[in-house]
Amino acid sequence: MHGTSVAPRWTGNTVALVSLLLPTALGAQTAREILEEVDQLLRGESSQALVTMEIVTEHWSRELEMEVWSLGTEHSLVRVRSPAREAGTSTLKAGQEVWNYLPRVDRTIKVPPAMMMGSWMGSHFTNDDLVRESSIVDDYEFEIAFEGPRDGVDVWEFLLIPKPEAPVVWGKVEYEVRKADMMPTWVRYFDESGELMRTMTFSDYQTMGGRLVPARMDVVPSDKPRERTTLIYHELAFDVGLEESFFSLRNLRARS
Amino acid sequence: MRAFVLLRLAARSVGRNARRSILTAAAMVIGLALLIFSRALSDGGHEQWIESAVRMGSGHVAIQAPRYLETGKIEHRLERDQLGRAVEAIEALDPELGVVAWAPRLSVSGLASSAASALPVRVEGVDPEREATFSQFEGELRDGRYLEPDDGLHAFVGVELARRLDLEVGNRFVLTAQTASGEVEGQLVRVAGTFRTAVSELDEGLIHVPIETVRAWLGATGSATTVAILVDPSMRTDEVVDALSVSLESDPDIRVLGWRESTPDLDSAVRIDDYGDYIFHIILFAIIALAILNAVLISVLGRRREFGILRAMGLTGFETGVVVFVEGLLLTAASGVVGMVLGFAITWGFFRDGLDFSGLMSSEMSFSGSIIDPVIVPFFQLRQVLVSVYFILVIGSLASLYPALRASRLDPADAMKFEQ
Amino acid sequence: MASDGMWWRVAWRNLWRNSHRTWITASGLAFGYFSSVILVGLTDGMSAELVENGTRLMVGQVQVHASAYLPERNMHHTIGGYEGTDVDALLAQIEQHPDIEDAAPRLFGGGLLSSGEETQAALLLGVDPVRESRVSTLLTTLVSGALPTAGAFEVLVGSEMARQLGVEVGDELVIVAPAADGSMGNDLYTVAGTFRTGTPGIDANYAILPVDDLQYLMAMAPGRIHEIVTTVTRSRETPAIASALATTLGEGDVPLDVKPWTELRPELAEALALMDSMNFVIVIIIFAMAVFGVANTMLIGTFERRREFAVIRALGTTRRGVSRTVVYEGIILGGISLAIGALITWPVMVWWHNTPPDLTTWFEGFEWSGAQWRPILRVEYSADGPLFTALALLFTTIFAAVYPAWKATRVPPADALADR
Repeated sequence: MHGTSVAPRWTGNTVALVSLLLPTALGAQTAREILEEVDQLLRGESSQALVTMEIVTEHWSRELEMEVWSLGTEHSLVRVRSPAREAGTSTLKAGQEVWNYLPRVDRTIKVPPAMMMGSWMGSHFTNDDLVRESSIVDDYEFEIAFEGPRDGVDVWEFLLIPKPEAPVVWGKVEYEVRKADMMPTWVRYFDESGELMRTMTFSDYQTMGGRLVPARMDVVPSDKPRERTTLIYHELAFDVGLEESFFSLRNLRARS
Repeated sequence: MRAFVLLRLAARSVGRNARRSILTAAAMVIGLALLIFSRALSDGGHEQWIESAVRMGSGHVAIQAPRYLETGKIEHRLERDQLGRAVEAIEALDPELGVVAWAPRLSVSGLASSAASALPVRVEGVDPEREATFSQFEGELRDGRYLEPDDGLHAFVGVELARRLDLEVGNRFVLTAQTASGEVEGQLVRVAGTFRTAVSELDEGLIHVPIETVRAWLGATGSATTVAILVDPSMRTDEVVDALSVSLESDPDIRVLGWRESTPDLDSAVRIDDYGDYIFHIILFAIIALAILNAVLISVLGRRREFGILRAMGLTGFETGVVVFVEGLLLTAASGVVGMVLGFAITWGFFRDGLDFSGLMSSEMSFSGSIIDPVIVPFFQLRQVLVSVYFILVIGSLASLYPALRASRLDPADAMKFEQ
Repeated sequence: MASDGMWWRVAWRNLWRNSHRTWITASGLAFGYFSSVILVGLTDGMSAELVENGTRLMVGQVQVHASAYLPERNMHHTIGGYEGTDVDALLAQIEQHPDIEDAAPRLFGGGLLSSGEETQAALLLGVDPVRESRVSTLLTTLVSGALPTAGAFEVLVGSEMARQLGVEVGDELVIVAPAADGSMGNDLYTVAGTFRTGTPGIDANYAILPVDDLQYLMAMAPGRIHEIVTTVTRSRETPAIASALATTLGEGDVPLDVKPWTELRPELAEALALMDSMNFVIVIIIFAMAVFGVANTMLIGTFERRREFAVIRALGTTRRGVSRTVVYEGIILGGISLAIGALITWPVMVWWHNTPPDLTTWFEGFEWSGAQWRPILRVEYSADGPLFTALALLFTTIFAAVYPAWKATRVPPADALADR
C-alpha cells in the first residue's frame, strides 16, 4: 500500500486496519487505543533483512541482493550486495531526506525532491513509496467489502477510499487479508475511474524473526502486465537494537 | 495689399485647373492615408503582440522580491507585509497612468503525479477572479471550466498534462513540492478544466491552482512570488515602473520591473519587429516622396505658358514665384487635411474590428490562434499621425519650390511661344 | 496607310522629344520596381533570419528519430532499436540528399548531477562536437572553458545549472543516470566548460558531453542514438524537404520518423506565419503606392498633352492612331525604365544577399534565444516577386496613359486647340 517501505511495515498496518473495523474481536479497547498502541509499536520497531529484488521490464531484467535495516517509519538503510558491479551502492532514508552512496565513484549524493517519483533502483517502487509515510488510517476511509471463503480460505476484503483531501493518487484500494492469521494476500490499486493500475501480491508465508510473514511480494503494473518487481525475503529479524544514530551518512558509506 | 491679390490668384489657379490639382494632390492624399493606415496597423500589431506575451508572462510591470527573477525559488517571495504594501502602491497610482489590471501569483516548481504517471510542472497559485481577465484563457479552454473564486482543491491544467497523466475533468492528482520551510509536501487537487495553447511547455507543464490553496500547502500564508500588472497602452510601462519604484523605494525587499527586464526574450523579439518596421517605413516614405515629386515635376512641364501669362500681367518674377509656391502650399495643406481624414476613415471604418490575418496565411498551417491573435486592431498614436502629416507637408512644400523657381525665372516673351 | 514600324518610330520620337517627361516617368517606374523587389527580398530575408535564429540553437530544421521515440522520449527507443544502427552510414545517406546541408547525431539521457554540496536533476545530451557545430549554435555559446574531449570524462554544463551546483571549470561532478540495462550508471566527470544560450530552459537543465561518453555511461552500444538533427538549404521549404527525406529513408530497413521544425515547434511556425502575412500586407501597401505613383504621373503627363494630340488629330491621325502611339510609347518607356530598374536592383540584391550590410551603428545587435541577432539587410531571392512587379508596373504605365489619351481625343481637335 502507499507508504509502504521495503521494510515490512505492512504487518503493523494490517493489524491496525483490522482492529479499527473489529473492535469486538480484540476486546474492550477502543479502536483508537489499539491504533495508538500499534503506532507505538511500529515507531520503536527495528528490523534487519536480507532481500532479493527481481525486476523484469520490457527492455531488461535484473536481480539485486540487498541488506535492509529499518527503524520505525522514519529511518531505513539499504545496501546492495550483488551483483558485484553494484555492490556497496546504498540508499539512506532519514525522515524526509534520501541519500545515495555510489561506491564506484565513492561519492554520496542527496536525492532532490524532484527525483522522488523516479523509480527506486529501476524497480516499480518509487522513491516516494520509500519516503512518504502516509498513514492509511489518516488518508483512507474503509469498509469491509467482502467476508467469507475464497478458494477455500476465509478472508476479509477491505475497500479503502481515500478521504476527500488526502494527497493520495489512487481512486480506491482493495486489500485482501486472511482471517485466520491476518496475513495480507493481495492489494489492488485503482484510479478514480475504477481502472486497476497496479497489483501487489503476497505469498510464501513463513515464520521469520518470530513472526508469520509473507516472504514474497510481487508488484505488477496493469498497463504492462509482463513487467514486475519481486521482493523475496531470505532473512528477517525484528527488534535488533538499532538506534537512530545507526542511520548516518558514515554508515551509508561503509562497505559492510 | 498685393499679397492678398497674389493669394487670390493662387487660389483661383488651383480651382481652375481642377484635374491637374486633383491629380497632384492625389499623390499626397493617398500617400498620407496609406502612411496613417500602415502605421496604425503595425503599431496595433506590435501592441497586441506585447500584450498577449505579457499576459502569459509577468505583465507589463512585475513586482517581486529582489532575487526572484534570477532564482525562481520560493524563498525569494513577497511576504504578507510586502505584498500588502505593493498592492497599496498599485491602488494608489494615478488612474491616468493606465493600469488596467493586476494579479498576484505564487509560483513553484514541483511534480504532478496521478495513478498513471508523474511529470514535472510549474504550479501558479492565482486569484481566480483577477487571473481570469489577466491570462485570457477563454479561447484556449478545452474541457471543464477555469478556476472560480470559491474554488479550493481545483487545478486548471494543459491538455498534454491531462493526457500523460490520464486525467479527465474531476479526476484527482497530487502535487508535490518543497515548501517554504524546505520540507516536501503533497497536495491533492482535482482537474477543474483543461486548456490547449499548442505550446508544449505550457500544455505539459503549467497548472493554475487557487492561490489560497497553494499558500496553505506551502506554508507561505499571505505571500506571492509576483504581482503582475497590465498597462494600457504598453508605452506607459516605464512611467508606471517609475511611479511604483518611488512609492516603494523605502522597502529593500520589493523590486519593480518592466517587461523588458522581466522577459528579455520578448524584449529582443520586439526589437526585431521595430527594426523591420523602421526599414519598411523608410521605403514607404521614399516611394511617397517620389510620387509627389513626380506629380509636381510633370505638371510643371505643361505650365510654361501659364507662368508667362502671369508675368505678362505685371507680376514680377518673384511674385510669380510666390503665386506658384502658394498654390503648391494650398494644395499641400488641403491634401494634408483630406489625407488625414481618408487615412482615419479607411483604418477605422474598415478595420475597427481588426484585420484578420489568418485568412492570409498559407493553408498548410493549421492555426490554433491561441498564442498569437491573428486579428490585428489598428492603434492610433497621435505622435505617429503628426509625424506622417508633417512629412507630407514638408515634401509637398519642398516640391512646390521647384515650379515656383521655374516660374520666377521664366522670360515672359519666351514663355508665350509655348502653347502650354 | 502606315506600317506598324512607323508607329514605333513615332512613339520613340515622341518620347525623346519630351525627354524631361520621359525621364521623370522613368524614374518613378524604375524606383517603384527597385523598392518593390528589394522589399520582397528584405521581407523574405527577415523570415529566413527568423527561422534560422529560432531553429539554429537546438531544434535544427529537420529531425530524424525512431518511430516510437516521440513524444515520450523513452531512452530505449534508439534509432534501429536495441542494436542501434550504422550511424556514419545513416548520416552519410542523409547528407547526400540534395536539400540537406549537414547532419549530426544526438543521444539523450536524464539523471542527476551532483557537486557534493548540491544535487540537481539534469537532461544529458550526447553530441558529436564537430558535426554538432555544423547544425547548431549550441556549442558556440560557451562562456567559460572549452569543448569536452571524448573519452576524458569531461562535460559541459549550462551556466544556470553551474551556478546552482556551485561549480566552475575544472570542478568535479558526479553524474548518475539510469542505464539501458536497468542499472544506475554513474561516473565522475570534470567540468570542461559552461555555456549560456540565453534560454533558461536549456541553461538550467542541460549538461552536454561527447556522445560516446554518454553511451558508455548509459551502457549503450556505439550505434545507439536517439536523434539526427539536420539543416536544410532552403529553410522556407522545410516541410517539403522533410517529406522528400522521409521517402528516401523509408526505403531503408530501419523504420524512421522525419519531422520538420514546423511540427516540432509549432509556436515558432505560427509566429512566422503571422509575420509573413503582415509582411504581405506591407508589400501590398508599398506596391500599391508604387503603382499609384506611376499611374498618377502618367495620368497627369498624358492629360497635359491634350494640345499635342489635338494637333496630330488635326493633321489626320485617327483616334486609334493616337492611342496606338501612346501604347507603344508606354511599352518602350516601360521597357527602358524596367531595364534600368533591374540594372540598379540586381547588383544590390546580389550584394546584400552575399554580404548583407551591417546596420549595427544604428541598431544594436543582441542575443535572442541564444542566437546572435544581427541588424543586417538580408535579402532572399524569389522568382515571382520581380516578374509580377515588372508586369504590373508595365501594365499600369500603358493603361494610365491610354485611358487619358483616349478621353482627350474625344474632344474635336479644333475645340481642344482653342481650349474649349
